Amino acid sequence: MPDRKRSRVAPTTITMLQEAVISARDHSYALCIRGAGTLDGMGGRVTADLDIHMTHLKGIAAFEPGDLTIGTFAGTTLAELTAVLREHRLMAVLDAPHPQQATIGGTLAGGWLGPRRHRFGRPRDAVIGTTVVMADGRIASSGGMVVKNVTGYDLSKLYIGSFGTLGILARVNFKVQPIPARIRAISARLPEHTRERVIERMQGLSGQISAALLIDGFHREIDGEDGSDGRLVVLLETSEILLEQATRDTRGALGQAGVPEATIVDLGPMDHLQRIIDAGVATIGERSITYRVLGDADDHERRSSQLSADLSRTGLRMERIVDACNGDLFVRLSDRDSRSFAGKLADCDEIVHQHFPRAIVVACTSPIRDQLTIWGEHPAAIEKMHLLKSAFDPDHRLNPGRFLEATTNG
Amino acid sequence: MIQRLTDALGADSVLHAPEDLAVYRFDGYATGATPGVVVLPRTTRDICAVMKVAKEFGVPVVARGAGTGLCGGATPGLGAIVVSFARMNRILELDIARRRVRVQPGVVNLDLSTDVARHRLFYAPDPASQRSCTIGGNIGTNAGGPHCLAYGTTTSHVLGLEVVDEHGEVFTTHIDDIGYDLTGALVGGEGTLGMVSSAWLRLTRMPQSVRVWLVAFGDIDSASETVSAILAAGIVPTALEMMDATIISAVEAVYHAGYPTDAAAVLLIESAGFEEDMERCQTDIARIARDHGALSWHAASSQRERDALWLGRKSAAGAIGSMTPNYYIQDVTVPRTKLPHALRAVEEAVRANGLRVGNVFHAGDGNLHPLIMYDKRNAYEVAAVVEAGTQILTTAIALGGTISGEHGIGSEKRETLGLVYSSDDLDPMLRLRDVFNASGLLNPEKIFPSGARCAEVR
Ligand SMILES: Cc1cc2nc3c(=O)[nH]c(=O)nc-3n(C[C@H](O)[C@H](O)[C@H](O)COP(=O)(O)OP(=O)(O)OC[C@H]3O[C@@H](n4cnc5c(N)ncnc54)[C@H](O)[C@@H]3O)c2cc1C
Repeated sequence: MPDRKRSRVAPTTITMLQEAVISARDHSYALCIRGAGTLDGMGGRVTADLDIHMTHLKGIAAFEPGDLTIGTFAGTTLAELTAVLREHRLMAVLDAPHPQQATIGGTLAGGWLGPRRHRFGRPRDAVIGTTVVMADGRIASSGGMVVKNVTGYDLSKLYIGSFGTLGILARVNFKVQPIPARIRAISARLPEHTRERVIERMQGLSGQISAALLIDGFHREIDGEDGSDGRLVVLLETSEILLEQATRDTRGALGQAGVPEATIVDLGPMDHLQRIIDAGVATIGERSITYRVLGDADDHERRSSQLSADLSRTGLRMERIVDACNGDLFVRLSDRDSRSFAGKLADCDEIVHQHFPRAIVVACTSPIRDQLTIWGEHPAAIEKMHLLKSAFDPDHRLNPGRFLEATTNG
Repeated sequence: MIQRLTDALGADSVLHAPEDLAVYRFDGYATGATPGVVVLPRTTRDICAVMKVAKEFGVPVVARGAGTGLCGGATPGLGAIVVSFARMNRILELDIARRRVRVQPGVVNLDLSTDVARHRLFYAPDPASQRSCTIGGNIGTNAGGPHCLAYGTTTSHVLGLEVVDEHGEVFTTHIDDIGYDLTGALVGGEGTLGMVSSAWLRLTRMPQSVRVWLVAFGDIDSASETVSAILAAGIVPTALEMMDATIISAVEAVYHAGYPTDAAAVLLIESAGFEEDMERCQTDIARIARDHGALSWHAASSQRERDALWLGRKSAAGAIGSMTPNYYIQDVTVPRTKLPHALRAVEEAVRANGLRVGNVFHAGDGNLHPLIMYDKRNAYEVAAVVEAGTQILTTAIALGGTISGEHGIGSEKRETLGLVYSSDDLDPMLRLRDVFNASGLLNPEKIFPSGARCAEVR
């Protein structure tokens, strides 16, 4: 179905946002809430009358470094947040793609989960308060600027991962943490048949390391050049005193897993990690699709090898990133040209879901994307989610089509 | 109704003799009315059966863990069905490799940590009541504890839930589910959103090294400024607890924990992590304490000594009980840099009302617990304690804080919820409640002010 003609607004204050929502309500307009679009590869296409661009509702609302908390407007970019905090050697660990563009609201609403969460916590655990504009135009806050709070229900949790379908995040408060003194990346080529052992060893070290990612493919995105397959990138974040010890431990563990050599990358280790995170949503024209599965890395390793075997008959190229510490798997499948890719997509989608029923699509620009099982198998409590949606947005005007809905209009 | 419950659960799981019912009127804070019946389910199916009977008869249902709650969360209304999870106290599955465990709601908090200790794991949220409170109650209140400073409160350790809803049907949630984080929304629901029948919890690895220090101060301000300074220096200990002179002398009189009785306040500080980091941590914290005028510094040298220091802290409320006929524990949180200000205001509020207070609290989180001493038989003191408690709430809000950090709202603070939230703020909370509790049978008259209903849309 072609999009209806849309108008757009770009509020710079919460009051302006509220006015826009109220006026949309009065006109029965459906709303498409837009951040920077960095996670547009997730979720369905929104059919709306009015685009609300959130990128101008930005800035720091409150920051007292000694409290280890910060309040931000939702259109603030992740990079802006990082820069403000870094001046005080603090951080909020969101680890989402394209931080220069990505907004805080969009990243949270998209429920993005990054590789360092096993160590520093999930975004949901760092959010201590939110202010939301509801579908009917009410401004509703929950939580606050304190790190412990059981005053009323923890509604912030609901908005994180809601894809903007319950309310529009206008302000988000975080608790933040000190930046570790030293950061180092260690990279290695993985010899044949070492992956399972590497995953196991890295899981054993997960108290010391902040990320361990096994990468096949994604050369352009991560290394800027073609190279060999089977790389590992480990991120260490430690005190001054522990850095060398942690390096030795990591190298030792890799040696025991059959990886003889590992290189220290002290120059821009975070940039390196960021390129890997960005790669997770990178597309190759209209001829690639990327799935994400959460769960268990050791299991994924076996199952993704079987997937690879099953996909071989389609002739699609498979690339993958395995997050050993959290158990995430990113699989990108691509073809030489977009037309032949489109022809194989439905088949490939089915094969992927045979192996990973809960795989969701995180990146794909092929025109036939909407016909795929982008959300994988539905969560067990989907009916409760539908009830919640109807209670929060009875007329289904917030991002219609973006997330699983009880009745599909399209 | 009792017959139907007995048919479903067996006679030994249904209590209805008046003397049996009487003990289920209370929690750690309030006295409710006498329930109509108390049921002791053993399985999820039992809970479903109870909910179905409750629905059929239109009788409210109140979930109950150990009843240690401090906000009147588990207290029943007259004739209600109390569902006690005392018999659902089994650990169902333990996945050591992935560090997670599935438990029934009646498992006692400390029992879980004790059970998994042999795998060098523990369950991090540790309310001071952990020897008796249950996982179900902890989930109900999103309980905190001293070690939540570094590890986060209950909500960060619940991976998934199995819940019996108001219709007696089971649903499950997991934090990795795509879409709305029902797990996160249900934690802290105080029994108003469903009955948790089992939970997947995250276990934490025991740290390589643990250090505990006791630092004494000549005045409260110096102690609370030290707390702010430690955090501002980018040091996040695993626990940062404060006790004032009143608490110190109460604890010493009963437990002989080794606290200096001449101090105006002590900080109990714990850091955990890698051995190599601990020396540095100790040096930094000691320097900050010295700069703020610490009188003495004591490092526990053995596990026994550490345990003794902690026992004093975790038994403080009990110790105060020996000093006064009654005490009321307030629970507010303020931004951490506001601690010195907040403590002065607490002292003033209590003194202005002619009462005495002891402070023992999670200082690192800015979570205050003034224990106000009074005598229930003295009407003047009862009025005074209420007044002082309310003043503390308004002070906390004025300082940018909130009216409950970890104990919950329950029946105690429902009428003051409006001090923090406007009716527009409450609206989505009521919508959430009405999705999971449309019948109103799940723990009614809790959390929300009386008369708060979902206002009509538009
Ligand atoms: C001496 C003392 C020290 C304390 N220290 C702390 C502390 O440090 N930190 C802290 O957070 N609290 C503390 N508390 C308060 C209390 O222990 C906690 O709130 C605890 O979580 C309550 O657990 P419980 O099993 O006693 O639950 P209850 O009091 O029985 O119930 C608490 C709430 O949870 C609900 N509930 C119980 N089980 C379920 C279930 N299965 N499903 C759904 N809802 C359920 C109840 O309806 C009620 O609303 C302390 C209390 C005392 C007496």
